[in-house]
Amino acid sequence: MALAKLEQLSKSVVQGPSLVTGAVPTKDWMETPAIFKEGNFAYPAKQEKVEYLNSQVGLEFPNARIWSPLEDDWKLPENWQEIILNGLKERLGKFRSLKIFMDCCVRCGACADKCHFFLGTGDPKNMPVLRAELLRSIYRNDFTLAGKLFGKMAGAREMTVGVIKEWFMYSYQCTECRRCSVFCPYGIDTAEVTMMLRELLHLLGIGINWILEPASNSNRTGNHMGLQPHTFKDNVDFLAEDLETLTGIKINHTFNRKGAEILFITPSADVFAEPGLYTAMGYLALFEQLGLDYTWSTYASEGGNFGLFTSNELMKKLNGKMYAEAKRLGVKYIIGGECGHMWRVIHQYMDTMNGPADFLEVPKSPITGTVFNNAAATKMVHISEFTADLIRHGKIKFDPSRNAHVLPTFHDSCNPARAMGLMDEPRYILDHVVPKWVEMPENTIREQTFCCGSGTGLNTDEIMELRMRSGLPRANAVKHVIDKYGVNMLSCVCAIDRATLTSLMNYWNPGCGVCGLSELVGNALIMDNEKRAMGYDAEGNERELPDGFRTMV
Amino acid sequence: MELDEAFRNYEDKIVRAWVDYTLSSYKSSTFFKKERDKFANPVGGNTFEALSKLFKLLTKNADPKEFVAPLDQVMRIRSIQEFSASEAVGPIHAVKHITREILEKDKERKHLIAELYDFEFAVDLAVLAAFDLYMQCREQLYKVRILEIKSGTHILTDSKCPSSMLKKDIDDLVKIHI
Repeated sequence: MALAKLEQLSKSVVQGPSLVTGAVPTKDWMETPAIFKEGNFAYPAKQEKVEYLNSQVGLEFPNARIWSPLEDDWKLPENWQEIILNGLKERLGKFRSLKIFMDCCVRCGACADKCHFFLGTGDPKNMPVLRAELLRSIYRNDFTLAGKLFGKMAGAREMTVGVIKEWFMYSYQCTECRRCSVFCPYGIDTAEVTMMLRELLHLLGIGINWILEPASNSNRTGNHMGLQPHTFKDNVDFLAEDLETLTGIKINHTFNRKGAEILFITPSADVFAEPGLYTAMGYLALFEQLGLDYTWSTYASEGGNFGLFTSNELMKKLNGKMYAEAKRLGVKYIIGGECGHMWRVIHQYMDTMNGPADFLEVPKSPITGTVFNNAAATKMVHISEFTADLIRHGKIKFDPSRNAHVLPTFHDSCNPARAMGLMDEPRYILDHVVPKWVEMPENTIREQTFCCGSGTGLNTDEIMELRMRSGLPRANAVKHVIDKYGVNMLSCVCAIDRATLTSLMNYWNPGCGVCGLSELVGNALIMDNEKRAMGYDAEGNERELPDGFRTMV
Repeated sequence: MELDEAFRNYEDKIVRAWVDYTLSSYKSSTFFKKERDKFANPVGGNTFEALSKLFKLLTKNADPKEFVAPLDQVMRIRSIQEFSASEAVGPIHAVKHITREILEKDKERKHLIAELYDFEFAVDLAVLAAFDLYMQCREQLYKVRILEIKSGTHILTDSKCPSSMLKKDIDDLVKIHI
């Protein structure tokens, strides 16, 4: 009797596709269409942004139009199937990795439960193996003998409008974080499958605004926000002024200075958005204390490269800008700030895409003499590598008690951790700049780190629910250290993280702040002739910068 | 007393069935049900942990205020997933029916079903609390969204000076109860 009621209860609460009664969908995944509704897709790119990108030499963004995922008719070009199949054929020929990834998966499922989107949604198409299968099924159908002969039995299917819609849904429910790749016995880089899906969709004029607008801004003015040189300069100048108010030290920074030893490039978000501003203050304070011969650039004013989330040609173009500027200014090498995906582009694509950067020198720290041979090809050093080396040689002094107001944990940002292996330097820095910090559980850090859930240009507000789902695994691990140790700050080395983890914490763990590592470095740094401003701490006692660079004075 | 003992004896079985039922609401739930590591499996792990705690509270005449913490653990997740309000809250009900079913199958304890009134009333209160939490989470989600939009808009429209973001009004905005 009771179970009969339970069944009735189940039926009464079942309306949508998420059946309370059935764990396994009764339909095969190929027959389950993608259903779009407000909140589960990012808004399409504005027509003029697509047209602008298409007008640029070397870029291909055809079929610009006004369309909506909510409408049945996506206004695809007439020969859309031909465009996709030719596009796929071209890419299979051009990228050997894609051909291998299409062929070598044995569907073992090792990746299936490693994706934060799957873990947050329970949607099987968010299992990396199945997400890749969305493309692989088309590949089999049109490019393999088995698929041509046996069709569906061989896991093949025909290209339909439904497939395009599915591609759009799921290639934008992947942040290219590459956690799944860590577990793949064949080393399949599922992020590259997503990249190909997005490239193919762009051939049909299908893309999202949150990616294409920053990308076109970056192409036009040098940064995502479209800030013009004078505005970018003003922003950095104001940060320097604030820093002078806080520390009593006048900051001597320069812009576009030819002959500087080092070019410094960081994500533009560090210059205009909280909490990245404090990270930028950290860079300014550190470089001032060192007397570093460096320059900012108002042309290469963006480390982020939304081309990575768009197409290989755009990625190459945006990356090329940084090196063109380094060449123009005649610097010896580049120091890069706390950015995430910039470092994937630098470490995994830059050398064969725009390299070799043989007009630059292998980075050598002017303070310690250390030669960064790990950056011999790219000529670009991560700020954390640079800082950790300074600490190692005792070249900077810290007072960790200046960070006594925070008890941080460290979030390994996906790309620095998995794409460049930057795992120990940030931890070494933390050991020296804060009185105490704690690690999150082992299976959520280092190369197994969970994504913030909003990377690859998915940090737009219209998909906030989706972002909260995909960010659950990360937030869940943070909650654990909050409950167990009283952690109140989530530190990281990525600008997208600083923006998106803030919203993620505001939902899952209110009260936990987010900061860049260089902010903590700046807070604790002892500067020559400093006179730190006074402020009031949480208990109402007056003391020097009780909230570090965030102190209101 | 006899009912308390029955709850103790069947606690594992009831909670397992309840968790199983709740996790069945996901399209692909095998992994959610199988993996017990809360960090590898946040949905499954938290659901198991929360419902285990909640069952103890429901069966010991606890103050309904105590329901909130474990309920929050599961409702905070379900509130932002692809569920309608009734789908999100629905599984909390299920424990009533699961408990009846299990007691019914035990001939020696079948008569205890007549004594389930207090327990079932506690479940009703938990369901109401779950709905409150669902609404709170939805409102919080929208506040997070508004906050994100506002902080961005402010920077773009009013400010070429980042330090103006330290103005008091923004500070107040950040302190919205989220």
